[in-house]
Amino acid sequence: MVRVLVYTAGPAQLRGLAGLVAALGASEAFALTPGREDEVAQHAYGVFNRVYRVDAERLTPGQLAELLEGLYAEHQPDLVVGPAVKDGVDAGSRLAARQSLPMFTEAVSVELFDGGLRVRRQVLGGRAMAVLESGLPALVTVKPQLWEEKAPSETGAEISTVKPPAALVEEESWEPKKREAVDLESAEVVVGVGRGFRRKEDLAMAEELARLLGGVVGASRPIVADYGWLSEDRWIGISGKKIRPKLYIAIGISGTPQHMAATMDSKVIVAINKDKNAPIFQYADYGVVADLYKFLPVLIEKLKEKLGK
Amino acid sequence: MPLNIAVLVKASLDPNMIRTGSDGGVDAAATPLAISEYDKNAVEAAVQLKEKHGGRVVAVSALTWGPSARKRKELEQVIREALAMGVDEAHIIIDDALIPGDPLLTARAVTALLQKLGGFDLIITGEASMDMISGQIGGRVAALMGLPFISYARSLEVDAGAGVVRAVRDLEESLQTVKAKMPAVVSVTGEANKPRIPTLLQIRRAMRKPVKTYSLSDLEVDSVAKPRLVEMKLIQVKRKNVIIEAETLEQAAEKLIEYLEQEGVLPK
Repeated sequence: MVRVLVYTAGPAQLRGLAGLVAALGASEAFALTPGREDEVAQHAYGVFNRVYRVDAERLTPGQLAELLEGLYAEHQPDLVVGPAVKDGVDAGSRLAARQSLPMFTEAVSVELFDGGLRVRRQVLGGRAMAVLESGLPALVTVKPQLWEEKAPSETGAEISTVKPPAALVEEESWEPKKREAVDLESAEVVVGVGRGFRRKEDLAMAEELARLLGGVVGASRPIVADYGWLSEDRWIGISGKKIRPKLYIAIGISGTPQHMAATMDSKVIVAINKDKNAPIFQYADYGVVADLYKFLPVLIEKLKEKLGK
Repeated sequence: MPLNIAVLVKASLDPNMIRTGSDGGVDAAATPLAISEYDKNAVEAAVQLKEKHGGRVVAVSALTWGPSARKRKELEQVIREALAMGVDEAHIIIDDALIPGDPLLTARAVTALLQKLGGFDLIITGEASMDMISGQIGGRVAALMGLPFISYARSLEVDAGAGVVRAVRDLEESLQTVKAKMPAVVSVTGEANKPRIPTLLQIRRAMRKPVKTYSLSDLEVDSVAKPRLVEMKLIQVKRKNVIIEAETLEQAAEKLIEYLEQEGVLPK
């Protein structure tokens, strides 16, 4: 039976982390999050004995780490859990150093055993899975989405409000990145576009295919980072979004390990590429070796016939 | 005003050259080491700051893959690459207690060395190593030294007169501009710059630059129990690998649609 201290960069992440706390069967759990009163109340899950709400919209990692130090000293947790986002890793690494904790970044599984912890995490650019064990106390960061299904829905944990502390690193300005309202991570069908496409306008074929299948368009790294044809939130890759659709159709994508690692949980993968030696065919359930410019229009026509559209 | 800059460099397992054992386990001893991708960006950032403000750049590294007798040569090659890019001198930690690596102990060793060398205005590192991708070293070193830490900087500038470093942090949903008083620790992303490719002359000159080696006891760091790396296995891809053969594109499309229907992934 472990005592857990959870921290997040925002209240919405509490849902998944509450799920992990429930899955671990924690005897006591505390959470720390910035956010407005109403937002935090919505996410004050019953698994937490207390939620510490910082009266600020956002915190710098330094401020988060400073508050964590205080709560760590007070509650002496066996396990500290944070979100696998950049600020989460940053803040966690500082606490881990000062409290001499082993820290595991972006664990995909967390198991407790007698006096210890076992985690699995991806390494080597998504090519390999590492299994690590350590004693407690320890710190892990995890993607909250992986545990959302286990989150008990009842809220009502006691909320204490704390003031944000001073920090050594000052924020001068902050701007949100331009985002479209597309949620690749929860899409059931994804059509991926890669360098096989020669012009931005040609992506329209992929969009039509996605529309017919009830899906969204995502892209490999070059389309986003090099050409800028699509925004960053459409980037499928270990440094971008990880997708878990029932169907992923990769068009004109060669299939680098960093891209394919982010599509591993797809139920069915289809590859369309004119190069029969493209690595992607090793990762696909079904492959069509064809020029996308010739095949896509035919596939779209046949699909329209099939679906009566 | 000249700057005294330290750059943390890791000799990482090269993810493009992974060797495996018969069980699919990664054979770390047989896998070559290479300079971690984002550490090149860190070196480039440091050298550009030296070129602008004057001063010196020192590389610090620890060997975290073994066997050390063999791998130290590969670490030395990685260090020579950094020296060729414009680093002035290198200091490396070789101790079997650091193998295989764990960020907690590696950060303590690196911190001890940085404090022994002393007087740095900036300590720059890559956002994470390309083999273990923990992303902890920068934060751990900063916390151990009581210094400000700026992570995921995609741009970095120094106001030497005011003793301030300013950076734009590349976060998931936002760009955050921050500033801190030096001395400070900064981790940089792959977008921060385009690392230079050293010339043959620079590579030859690098052979003459000083490289000093230390053990944990030289640094008065005690070894501690580390987490156990139980296994590292290649992720085996098990997919059907059906290549659809057909005389015409129309037939291929029809076959594909049939398969998708059987799989139950078409809209109803």
